[in-house]
Amino acid sequence: MKYIPNTDNEKKGMLKEIGVSSFNELIRDIPENIRLNRALSIPGPFDEEEIREQVHMIAGKNVDFFSFKPLIGAGAYRHSIPEVVKAIVSREEFYTSYTPYQPEISQGNLQSMFELQTHLARLTGMDVVVPSLYDGASAVAEAVLMAVRITHKNRTIVSSLVHPHYREVIATYTKPHNIEIVELPFDKGCTDFSNLKNLLNSDTAAVVVQSPNFFGGIENIAAIASEIHNSDALLIQSIAESISLGLLNAPADMGVDIVAGESQSFGMDLNFGGPYNGFLATKTRFLRQLPGRIAGETVDRDGKRAFVMTMRAREQDIKREKAISNICSNHALNIVAANVYLSLLGKNGLYEVALLNTKAAHYLKEKLAETNNFEIFEYPFFNEFIVKSKMDIDEVKDRLFKRSFVPPLCVNKFYKKCENYLLFNVTEIFKREELDEIVKILEVSR
Amino acid sequence: MKLIYEKSVKGRKGYFLRGDSYKEISLKDCIPQHALTRTKKELPEVSEVDVVRHFTALSKLNYGLDDGFYPLGSCTMKYNPKLNESLALLDNFIYAHPCVDEDLVQGSLQIMYELSHYLSEITGMDQFTLSPSAGAHGELAGVLVMRKYFMDKGELRHKMLIPDSAHGTNPASAAMAGFNVVEVKSNERGGIDLAELHKLMDEDTAGLMLTNPNTVGLFDDNIEEIAKVVHSKDGLLYYDGANLNALLGIARPGDAGFDIAHLNLHKTFSTPHGGGGPGAGPVGVKKHLIQYLPTPIVSYNGEKYFFEDVGEKSIGRLRAFFGNFSVLLKAYVWILSMGDKGLKETAETSIINANYVMSKLKNFYKPVYDRFCMHECVLTGREYKEYGVKTLDIAKRLMDYGFHPPTIYFPHFEPYAEETIMIEPTESESKENIDLFIDAMIKISHEIKTDAELVRQAPHVTPVSRPDEARAVKNPTLIFKEINENR
Repeated sequence: MKYIPNTDNEKKGMLKEIGVSSFNELIRDIPENIRLNRALSIPGPFDEEEIREQVHMIAGKNVDFFSFKPLIGAGAYRHSIPEVVKAIVSREEFYTSYTPYQPEISQGNLQSMFELQTHLARLTGMDVVVPSLYDGASAVAEAVLMAVRITHKNRTIVSSLVHPHYREVIATYTKPHNIEIVELPFDKGCTDFSNLKNLLNSDTAAVVVQSPNFFGGIENIAAIASEIHNSDALLIQSIAESISLGLLNAPADMGVDIVAGESQSFGMDLNFGGPYNGFLATKTRFLRQLPGRIAGETVDRDGKRAFVMTMRAREQDIKREKAISNICSNHALNIVAANVYLSLLGKNGLYEVALLNTKAAHYLKEKLAETNNFEIFEYPFFNEFIVKSKMDIDEVKDRLFKRSFVPPLCVNKFYKKCENYLLFNVTEIFKREELDEIVKILEVSR
Repeated sequence: MKLIYEKSVKGRKGYFLRGDSYKEISLKDCIPQHALTRTKKELPEVSEVDVVRHFTALSKLNYGLDDGFYPLGSCTMKYNPKLNESLALLDNFIYAHPCVDEDLVQGSLQIMYELSHYLSEITGMDQFTLSPSAGAHGELAGVLVMRKYFMDKGELRHKMLIPDSAHGTNPASAAMAGFNVVEVKSNERGGIDLAELHKLMDEDTAGLMLTNPNTVGLFDDNIEEIAKVVHSKDGLLYYDGANLNALLGIARPGDAGFDIAHLNLHKTFSTPHGGGGPGAGPVGVKKHLIQYLPTPIVSYNGEKYFFEDVGEKSIGRLRAFFGNFSVLLKAYVWILSMGDKGLKETAETSIINANYVMSKLKNFYKPVYDRFCMHECVLTGREYKEYGVKTLDIAKRLMDYGFHPPTIYFPHFEPYAEETIMIEPTESESKENIDLFIDAMIKISHEIKTDAELVRQAPHVTPVSRPDEARAVKNPTLIFKEINENR
């Protein structure tokens, strides 16, 4: 059988050395009653060529997504991924290795964790970073639980422009702990904070704001920070589009206490939604409440620099039911992807990519406004924006799709009242001429 | 090794981006001044060649499965087939956006739908969710389903039974779902102490989380009685699928009385560990629990594959979007490569390999339980303590012989399992490799008696020697702080 080296003869010999005459003697602990005693109804085994053909055939039932550039973002962004990222993450030393519990033979993974921690600390202005959680949604849910542990309070105020999936995950994670969730409304493309003062009370553990938010809007976080801190609550910033960190203020400089991010934009394919990679960044004083694995620098017996997983007394394998979180496997390989991506782009590149995203998205919005087929809204945004279509939504989708563009998100999928609203995303993969083409497709009224 | 920051040179670039084609647009008209960073963020400035060399050098400090034997117990470090990797990189899959109309992603949905059916057939469950991102994430989903099930019945059950031999994630997941964890002791045969289970299982207990084969590598032959006890109080039996490899095609948790099961696709189903993830932790349930699964699940109406909302009784959403698709695809390809015949042979070979290791080593390292094991055997290094050598030292010395050490100090429960060495060869390892490992283990047992210091100071040939972990905790250095002198 493929992937199983030992021959039947070898196995016979091994059974003999074990001291049994048949395999069945080894599994006598499995009661006869619960044995399967029939073949599984599973197709195969197929040979490599058969599988290649089958899977290619199934892949062909998807749209040719490479050629169909997406005008949809909504928490999953198609950016240009340098070939180097793929070349490095496909090295067996990275993708076939285990969690670095044995630091002597895992310095590659450990140093890479430490380097990404540093990149993310510099992007967010924070002191400590957990470089990998499952995704941005679980990161923000963990951040809320963290705030509840730190403040010993159980009420959390969440902006309704936090990614809808993220809010659902916050609900799933917090329900068993009787944490009350209160939502802040939105106005146009940003959160309406006018009622925040009234909602903040002595039971409030945290306020969660996403920026850029689900509508791409840049929230004025600095303006609400002191109000939140006056009530002894923590300010959590969720970030779904981390490219924005190349251009926007470091969260720590705006008074944010915990950043809960999604780093998919740093070199990870769309992959139909996963695997992506979450991260948390915060102040040193909250270090012991952070879930997940952290790398630290130390020295080996010869005084040589070495990295280890550290502050492990928070984790499930040591603390069991008293652990900070149950997380064990995270999305470690994506740490390498994000590290390679950020190292390549570097100080100037991340800024330039973020700038190009901003300009391209603003260009499209201006041009769409000129068509008179869309109502536009004035609010500061990064690379996503909402418009209200005066045309039939299906017509918009149809026209774009026919010209090989994946249409923008219909906002009412998540916000029922936003009938005819579209959420456009423009990244650096679009050339100016393509944006002009999109405008042309959408400017003619039927 | 130098950090990428220590290789940074001002002005150096590792990317090329086409020029600004929107010169008429000014940044300050787009984004308010208060939101903009005043200075560019201090990431390194390095060239593409610098980056490739740096990460290639880093990779060489790692030990991967393709480098050699990786007998980590309960981790199932089996070979990660190259075919899986390349098919997971097809353009139509990797560029698929998760929020598009279902018509555009029929291929991706078909993979998910068929995989969930194969997993149901393999485990004897009725419906799978592919949403959980990892084993522990699957556990969380599973215990939340239990919580919801009882709430729906109008019951509030506070306790969750978990054996002392369980993985740390079990109690941690139960606690995250709001349960109080009650430990069940193992008996002298390595299974659940039935008398104690009888005593502990009551109407305030949601159920029992069980790994079977358990973490001492033994199949609990009282499983039918265990299921009866749990069900007699209307409790639910949860299957931790970490060790499913031993049962493929031989027995199914669904036929043994389990109501819920999570699997680790990055263990049993050959997807890579990636240095600690991403994996996937699908959860399967019996019919009466489908309505509580996380939302959504993939369905098929004979013409079209589509996402189906689980409904108002669902525990809700567990993550953004639908699952770790590329991991799911790799598991799907592996199942097709193996078929029924290959799955059964996987289980058989893994069991023979583990028993072979145990039979060859048991005179040198005493087994925790001297019985035939399943896919892994658990030995101890306890008797070498008198030479001043710990199990940790034995593990480190194995690196000098070119092997990744087995899992050590887990499981740990007194009085049976201490200083444990948990060895899972998997089906991927040839007899010659296993023999080389056995030889090394025996050599080390001699070294301990003749030159204990050699073992205590190991490893000797690795990129770094033993790091000072206490120092890392005492003076936490968690990010690089010095400003590069070249700037």
